[in-house]
Amino acid sequence: MPLDARAPALRPCPGVRIEGLSLHFGAQPLFDGLSFDLQAGRLTALLGESGVGKTTLLRVVAGLEAPERGRVAASDAQPLAGRVAFMGQQDLLLPWLSALGNVTLGARLRGERPDRDRALSLLGRVGLADRADASPEALSGGMRQRVALARTLYEDRPIVLMDEPFSALDSLTRARIQALAAELLAGRTVLLITHDPWEACRLADVLLVLQGNPATLSAPLVVGGATPRAVDDANVLTTQGKLLKQLIGEEK
Amino acid sequence: MKRFAPILSFLATLAVWQAFVRMLHVPVYLVPGPVEIAHAFLSDAGGLLRALLATLSVTFIALLAACILGVSLACAMAANSWARALIKPWAIILQVTPVVAVAPLIVVWVNDPFAAMVVCATIVAFFPIFSNTAAGLEATPQDLLDLFRLNNATRLQEIRLLRLPAALPYFLAGLRVSGGLALVGAVVAEFVTGAGGVASGLAFRILESGYRLQIPRMFACLALLSAAGLAINAGLGALSQFIIRTRS
Repeated sequence: MPLDARAPALRPCPGVRIEGLSLHFGAQPLFDGLSFDLQAGRLTALLGESGVGKTTLLRVVAGLEAPERGRVAASDAQPLAGRVAFMGQQDLLLPWLSALGNVTLGARLRGERPDRDRALSLLGRVGLADRADASPEALSGGMRQRVALARTLYEDRPIVLMDEPFSALDSLTRARIQALAAELLAGRTVLLITHDPWEACRLADVLLVLQGNPATLSAPLVVGGATPRAVDDANVLTTQGKLLKQLIGEEK
Repeated sequence: MKRFAPILSFLATLAVWQAFVRMLHVPVYLVPGPVEIAHAFLSDAGGLLRALLATLSVTFIALLAACILGVSLACAMAANSWARALIKPWAIILQVTPVVAVAPLIVVWVNDPFAAMVVCATIVAFFPIFSNTAAGLEATPQDLLDLFRLNNATRLQEIRLLRLPAALPYFLAGLRVSGGLALVGAVVAEFVTGAGGVASGLAFRILESGYRLQIPRMFACLALLSAAGLAINAGLGALSQFIIRTRS
């Protein structure tokens, strides 16, 4: 392919430091002095059951929500704004734009001329070269999520935040897109939020579990081996089992 | 066959109606049969169609005004919380006040009878478009708004590229309701203003026929109004489908 979708345009991706985060949801304390790091150029998976505050945490890191106390900063001391791309649980495609129009939406919002060739090559990279003009409703759930992935890559941001991006997909499609995403996002600083231990074990360089109220993080867990790991990788399956036990509370 | 069922039921009703009127010798000044009504229409088709045109021109100008006012006020509310606080109470007051009660005032204030009728009909047609568009602008999914914020979109971009397209189906649903209401508003306005002379519409013809006890003609006017209402509803429905289909 003419353009390399993988290398984030000639600049090192910074890590992200989350420091002393405190936030209430109503009267309920969600976090109280929560601190952790996203290592530069690595994929950090954040696991936890629903309601524990994963999405809120991600919104704080994205700058969409302000914490009551604490701060989020890049390791290179530059501001984070404008360097973060986001991929959500829903594909977030605008139904009135074509796949191509959705991929280049960011450029349009910034008032730039959309780079059609780059967008097409990214759509080709996610296997949708022939569907560039299709409207989202003409695409399957898996295809839409791949368009969203292409859009995230088009943004070419060093930091990528993903909120359960594959949870709405059937298991086969999910396994395929996981591998594709891990491959295409390699080298970027990624925070992947998921409730699926298997997904976290396949994709993560570093794995954190968010638990309790106010939520605290487990010690970082490393699965070992290059990502994306095989679906039947022994390490993946053992760690997945351990995590699942921990999450459902059989093992403290 | 099912497609023709509404037409069949309509024709059957007319036949039964005509038969009853004939057999029971109902006087024509109480309930005229369809044949008498058709006859009354044909004897003054030109005049009645001109009256229909007058009513429809009030209806469509009012509908257009309601669209412009409704959409722009809804946008202002979405863009600015101050504008919301200032506009919303007035919009609700306008909606809950019966137009029949306000119409005489409007006739006093607005000198030109045609303009007065347009104002009345606009007031009636305004609310569904306004409230639907406002609801659509509000109902834009939070995730999409976040996406725009992450891309540092301006408030104007957010409205133009996200909220307005997202509100389009809501607006179109409101437009269809408002289309019917604009006709109602035009008829009410004609009743109140009693505009005679050149610009007299169908409602005026109904009043006139009533005074002269030309009951079949009155029914003919009513039938024309119903047909116009049906056509407006169907036309706006088709327009909505066309717009939704061609935009994606």
